[in-house]
Amino acid sequence: MKSIYKYIFTVVALFAVTASFGQSVHDLRLNEMMIKNEDNYADEYGRHVPWVEIFNTAYNTVNITGCYLTDDTTGLARAGKKGGEIPARWYRIPTDQKMYMPQRSFLIFFLDNSPLYGPYHANFTPAESKTHYIALISSNGKELLDIVEYPVELRDTTRTYGYVLDGVRDPKAFKQGKRQSGELDFLSEFTPASSNETGVKISKQDKLKRDDPYGIGMALISMAVVFTALIMIYIMLKIFNYVSRRATQKSKAQEEAAKANVAAVKSADDKEVEAANAEEIAAIGVALHLHFGSMHDEESEVITINMPSKHYSPWAQKELTMKRNPRR
Amino acid sequence: MLEFFKEGLLQFLSYSGFGNCTWGHIIMICIGLVFIALGIIKEYEPLLLVPIGFGIIIGNIPFTDGLQVGVYENGAVLNYLYFGVVKGFYPPLIFLGIGAMTDFSALISNPKLILIGAAAQFGIFAAYITALLLGFTPMEAGAIGIIGGADGPTAIFISSKLAPSMMGAIAVSAYSYMALVPVIQPPIMRALTTPQERLIRMRPPRAVSHREKVLFPMMCILLTAFLVPTGLPLLGMLFFGNLLKESGVTKRLANTASGPLVDIVTILIGLTVGASTQATNFLRPASVLIFVLGAFSFVIATASGVLFVKFFNLFLKGDNKINPLIGNAGVSAVPDAARVSLVEGQKYDRTNFLLMHAMGPNVAGVIGSAVAAGILLSFLY
Repeated sequence: MKSIYKYIFTVVALFAVTASFGQSVHDLRLNEMMIKNEDNYADEYGRHVPWVEIFNTAYNTVNITGCYLTDDTTGLARAGKKGGEIPARWYRIPTDQKMYMPQRSFLIFFLDNSPLYGPYHANFTPAESKTHYIALISSNGKELLDIVEYPVELRDTTRTYGYVLDGVRDPKAFKQGKRQSGELDFLSEFTPASSNETGVKISKQDKLKRDDPYGIGMALISMAVVFTALIMIYIMLKIFNYVSRRATQKSKAQEEAAKANVAAVKSADDKEVEAANAEEIAAIGVALHLHFGSMHDEESEVITINMPSKHYSPWAQKELTMKRNPRR
Repeated sequence: MLEFFKEGLLQFLSYSGFGNCTWGHIIMICIGLVFIALGIIKEYEPLLLVPIGFGIIIGNIPFTDGLQVGVYENGAVLNYLYFGVVKGFYPPLIFLGIGAMTDFSALISNPKLILIGAAAQFGIFAAYITALLLGFTPMEAGAIGIIGGADGPTAIFISSKLAPSMMGAIAVSAYSYMALVPVIQPPIMRALTTPQERLIRMRPPRAVSHREKVLFPMMCILLTAFLVPTGLPLLGMLFFGNLLKESGVTKRLANTASGPLVDIVTILIGLTVGASTQATNFLRPASVLIFVLGAFSFVIATASGVLFVKFFNLFLKGDNKINPLIGNAGVSAVPDAARVSLVEGQKYDRTNFLLMHAMGPNVAGVIGSAVAAGILLSFLY
């Protein structure tokens, strides 16, 4: 592979990889849920119905349009296939609604089997469900983005269940279909559309102080980012260099070819001139002169300078007084 | 009548500077005078030191509170002018001017020099770690560390967000060390290089086409701002200014950005930052520590740049080798650091002109420090 393509490929790959890591529905969590809602959070119609809270753990906006909410994942393998049927208890977050979740934001969906009530109302309700979990599935119907298995007693209590620390889960355990103990639990307070961490809030600064007391971690990450940014510019400049060198080589080659061409034409002309005698050349010259001369009108060849009078004004100029399209 | 005269005079005196003067004010006024003297006599960054020095004098004229004259008093004229520092909109305007003044050709023609600009940013994070060890909070440590970027506007921008109470000390420290680049850097450069290394001759840079110069700011803003959006105010203005310069069709805008606009903002920023160093806020043990840490970060930044070049040379052959005397230019004090490289280089070989080569890491340092500032903000703000 030519080096230029290597560089271009690296830049594009870097963009693609960082973009794919940056904006991902994989950052979504089913953060909190309430199944028995008697006098708690009400929907826009004032009804107290089961709800689930989705949390965007990422620090960028995530589009959740097309993802599915369900309490029945049995059709996962089928639905993911081309032309696969979408199971009845899968609620597709409407594609005609642009549902962008800003960084670290929460969004509530009501599980009331009333999709006609609006985009935030699912087509199933856990009260009628045989299972006791809620799942969030990717828009292609293939991936389980998050699944929260709740205790059966949640159906009989007016408490909420969810992540003790907002959206924090062990990715390794989740891949194996397990959960770390204490990751999910009954929550001491119900906090729809807000953080589950209701205890003493740790500021960003204190958190940094706790997690990285000597600043070495941050220093390493920061230096890595600075180098990455400048290496990306370095790669770009290398591409510039390559293109510029190629352009220079090309223009040089063209110049040389043009020079060679001129030299060839010149030598051919010289040979022709040598062959023709001077009288012939003079005759041709006269003929050409007469020919081109006859193409023009006869001019008086007298040049005059008309000095403007003392009272000259462009308003008096004849051409300015004429209409653009004179009529007869 | 005499009693009234005496009382009136005493009252007037109590309002005057003489009545409110403390040792702190006198010390600060002396510091201001030293700054002005350094600027005028020694010509160390006069465009910065003279306004800052005069600002220090203005800010330390003693007065009674409530007269609405001090930089920290609501409604005072100086307070309005200081608004641009507090809210951080002067630094991006200065970056616009820097962009419109800077020629990135040296960097475009020799791209590997950009990595020196990245290495020199280590000074920022070394100072951050040290400040944490000395008991500063992470936000304060970040604001202090940025002094190592050797970029006054960036230091003001970051400290206005992370540690506003320390901004005066940080800004004065940053600008002082920028002015003292010709004094601080040469001993470090000499200590870390061998006589043979100082004689390395670098390949002359190739001619850079107009198209490359126009594409450079656009590509750079896309690459850097996507990675560190928090650095957007600085990076965006820097590359916008450069596009105005290089496009060739916006000469009037480029002239304004690099001339009158940057001059006006420099006057305002210098004067108000100087005025913000009121003795009551400035003369504290923390300020002394900030100055010490600032010097430390500057030294580390310079050493990192030089050592990185030496390390880089292990992988380079022939005329591709880089003279380590341009490593100091990785800090973003443009063009002073590059000038130091030239002067030092000519001490050992009169015919070795390192200025154009040093401008590469120097402008890379501007980009690097803006990126580092963005990272600090994303972590700490």
